[in-house]
Amino acid sequence: MSEIDRRSFLITSGLFSGGMALGVAPASAAEPKDGTSHAPWATDGSGGVEMHPWISIAPDDIVTIRVPTPEVGNGAATQVAMNVCEELQCDWSKVRIEFASVRRDYLEKGIYTVGRQPMFSGHGTDPERMKMALQLGASARERLQRAAAFRWKVWQDEIDAKDSVLTHRPTGRTLRFGEVAAEAANVLVYNEPDMKSEAEWTFLGKASPFKLTAPAIADGSAVYGIDVKVPGMVHAALKQCPVHGGKLKSHDPKVVLGMPGVRAVVVVDPAKSRGVPKGLTNPVGMGMILTTAQSGVAVIADHYWQAKKALDALPVEWDLGPGGKFADEKAVYAQGKAALAKGKGPVIRARGDVSSVKGGKVLDASYATPWCENAAMEPLNGTAMVTADKCEMWVPAQDQHAALWVAVDETGLMPDKVDMHQTLIGGAFGRRTASDDVRMVVAVAKEYPGVPVKVIWSREETMAQGRFRTPIMTRFKAVLDKEGMPEAFTAHTILGGLIAMMSSLEDSPYVVSGAIPNAEISSTFLPYHVQTGAYRGPCYNSHSFMVESFIDECAAAAKIDPLDYRLRLIDKWDPAWGVVLKTAAAKADWGKPLPKGEGRGIAIANWPNAGLRKNGTTVCCVVHVAVSRSGALSVKQVDLAFDCGKIANRDAVAAQLEGAVIFGLNSVINEEITLKNGAVVETNFDVYPMMRIGDVPPVINIHFDALSGDDRFQPVGEAPVGPVAAALGNAIFAATGKRLRQTPFRKARLNWT
Amino acid sequence: MSEITLKVNGQLLSVDVAPDTPLLWVLRDHLGMTGTKFGCGIAQCGACTVHLNGEATRSCSVTAEAISGAEVVTIEGLSQTGGAVLQKLWADMNVSQCGYCQAGVLMATAAMFKQTAKPTDAEIDALVSNICRCGTYPRIRAAIHKAAGMMVAEGAAA
Repeated sequence: MSEIDRRSFLITSGLFSGGMALGVAPASAAEPKDGTSHAPWATDGSGGVEMHPWISIAPDDIVTIRVPTPEVGNGAATQVAMNVCEELQCDWSKVRIEFASVRRDYLEKGIYTVGRQPMFSGHGTDPERMKMALQLGASARERLQRAAAFRWKVWQDEIDAKDSVLTHRPTGRTLRFGEVAAEAANVLVYNEPDMKSEAEWTFLGKASPFKLTAPAIADGSAVYGIDVKVPGMVHAALKQCPVHGGKLKSHDPKVVLGMPGVRAVVVVDPAKSRGVPKGLTNPVGMGMILTTAQSGVAVIADHYWQAKKALDALPVEWDLGPGGKFADEKAVYAQGKAALAKGKGPVIRARGDVSSVKGGKVLDASYATPWCENAAMEPLNGTAMVTADKCEMWVPAQDQHAALWVAVDETGLMPDKVDMHQTLIGGAFGRRTASDDVRMVVAVAKEYPGVPVKVIWSREETMAQGRFRTPIMTRFKAVLDKEGMPEAFTAHTILGGLIAMMSSLEDSPYVVSGAIPNAEISSTFLPYHVQTGAYRGPCYNSHSFMVESFIDECAAAAKIDPLDYRLRLIDKWDPAWGVVLKTAAAKADWGKPLPKGEGRGIAIANWPNAGLRKNGTTVCCVVHVAVSRSGALSVKQVDLAFDCGKIANRDAVAAQLEGAVIFGLNSVINEEITLKNGAVVETNFDVYPMMRIGDVPPVINIHFDALSGDDRFQPVGEAPVGPVAAALGNAIFAATGKRLRQTPFRKARLNWT
Repeated sequence: MSEITLKVNGQLLSVDVAPDTPLLWVLRDHLGMTGTKFGCGIAQCGACTVHLNGEATRSCSVTAEAISGAEVVTIEGLSQTGGAVLQKLWADMNVSQCGYCQAGVLMATAAMFKQTAKPTDAEIDALVSNICRCGTYPRIRAAIHKAAGMMVAEGAAA
């Protein structure tokens, strides 16, 4: 739905509830600020008048904006509210947000279903959704002005709206938004009011208010999924087969049923997923198709600690399934190595004819990245109550539509019988997108019907049951021409799992632009049992590391400066990429001599559309490292330049880019999930190292100078993770002459003489 | 089960819990104070940091029986014990992203300020060693330095 349904402006009833109030400043004196003492969801509108399902205005001028975008930490929910505020002309300090109800979305035929991944935690500036938010703000303002004109019996165009106040210019009379909201809600607008041009914006692109969630986070009142409290709630501790795909063979509930607080031991059997009711199809796509229930067992008790202790004491035997045959991760990867040695796989993209290129310098190198865990700080969890004809749940989902349809699939209930309350999310980075966690919550609650059950994964369970970053192995070959530029380029990539994407390999501009005249990309499927999923720029993060490292190898073999080499390849194709490269390089003092043992590396990538000009977000990263003779690595400085077109909130963008640099560095330096007899070995932070404040580069510079101003507000969460790894590897090569083709780098010996 | 008495945020409270229940779960499940977060359960990440008799402590790894009679300050009580400046700065400087770790970071930071009014970078590295997956570390450091400047300025004015 790209146009606003005008009819919907007439709906003013507050019949439906289901939005969740964030624990931000109280909307009225009656609303408790203490997020721990009341339910974390609220009836819509905090007593306000509904102008539209997205917007309510209360008599005290509080504007409640119901955002379809869950808040995962990127500020997308705040961004959506800012988009409305720009045209509504309300006082930002009076704006509150609630998470829109996906149930209401279903009942009212997609009122929140606008743009790409409509109820996903990203894309706060999705073009369709942003346009709709602006239009809704403008419509509400128009109706407020018209209501004031009726009240004063004056011409509407004599009335200004600013900071939640309507002013009659000739007489100076004023009314607050809240004073006319009830009348305004009944005003019917036949023609949508004109919107400001972007040049007239006073808020978007100008202001960077802190996230609306920030005060509640700082005072501890913010309500994440794990903080939900429902009257009568009990707690469950969950254990699934440590080898993915395995099954519960036996367990002995008698041993633990007498323990303090223990109420029940329940089994989750994937065969008991009831399926979507006949004739219904999930209109949004994702979700169901990506998840199935996992065989598991849960102990339900009055309190979590009681449930966990009993679960630890519960005798359980597993049938490990086919995954148990892998002695370690090397046994899985050996299949990929064999495929790489054999030659190419099925070709997925070809240009020119790589076999026609004879002679010239040949490079041949293989790269690999392992499974990695999202490691969000909030362990997986969720609360649900299931009865024969209803499912109500409170979950930190990254995609509300996926969560709703997974619950429909698990319970077999019609979607209107599933009520979902979106909570704050304590990090996800893709982990909570497919709602496999929501499915397990519902599956456990289904076995203990009529009682709200909060299911908590321990950290160990969260990590053992990751939906990990897809491991990728790629063998590259290049033939360089007389000038040292690639005349032929082949890549054979091995990857498996549910998320097997080719972003930034298949559509690398080096390939699609024709800069390399002969290219061939082939791919072979890698079979394994370990479940994979989205991990901040899925697959793109690995492909970018590999392609940008291998191009660096080509530059080194040609004895051409890595910046110049890249410019020769892509500057003509899309000059905006050249600007990004040159900006990052200039800011990082590229080319300025460094002492021995120090080096700079550069890399560039684009998410999600590297192969299209003036599209996606292009990021160039320059990393400056120092490596001691004994091999100790320190990252001294990171410079990042980027082009996402335009930006709506400078500080929010900066925060995403800073965080992504650190996420990217941790990923390439530290992260690896390994296996023993098919089961995950690294299940807590003592063995899965995470950068802490003292490990972070002292200087991370985010440069806004490469922004093209082209007509797009592209997302910036994923893109920066792409070039960081390659830039680091290339810097280490510059410093030591050692080329790192495998992550995590912490396992490499970097000593030099 | 046994009765444990604690002073939490200035209030004397008694709870009936199994003696080996971690303070974290006493706070979250038995006292309903969910500001203190569960992150790892093995004192690695610091999300559960509280002040126990004035010292920053990872509450997942202290049992109820070991601390009967102790004085506990949680994020819910931080503003009453001198942390309001930090909390306001955390919002104003947009430090948090997902925010889940920040209660623990704030508690560690507030405890550090009791030891030193103007922490060095090395002291910050040692005393605010919490894990933040979103990578808000540069902003945490900036906010700490700004807070130190404000507190020194306040002290000079007083």
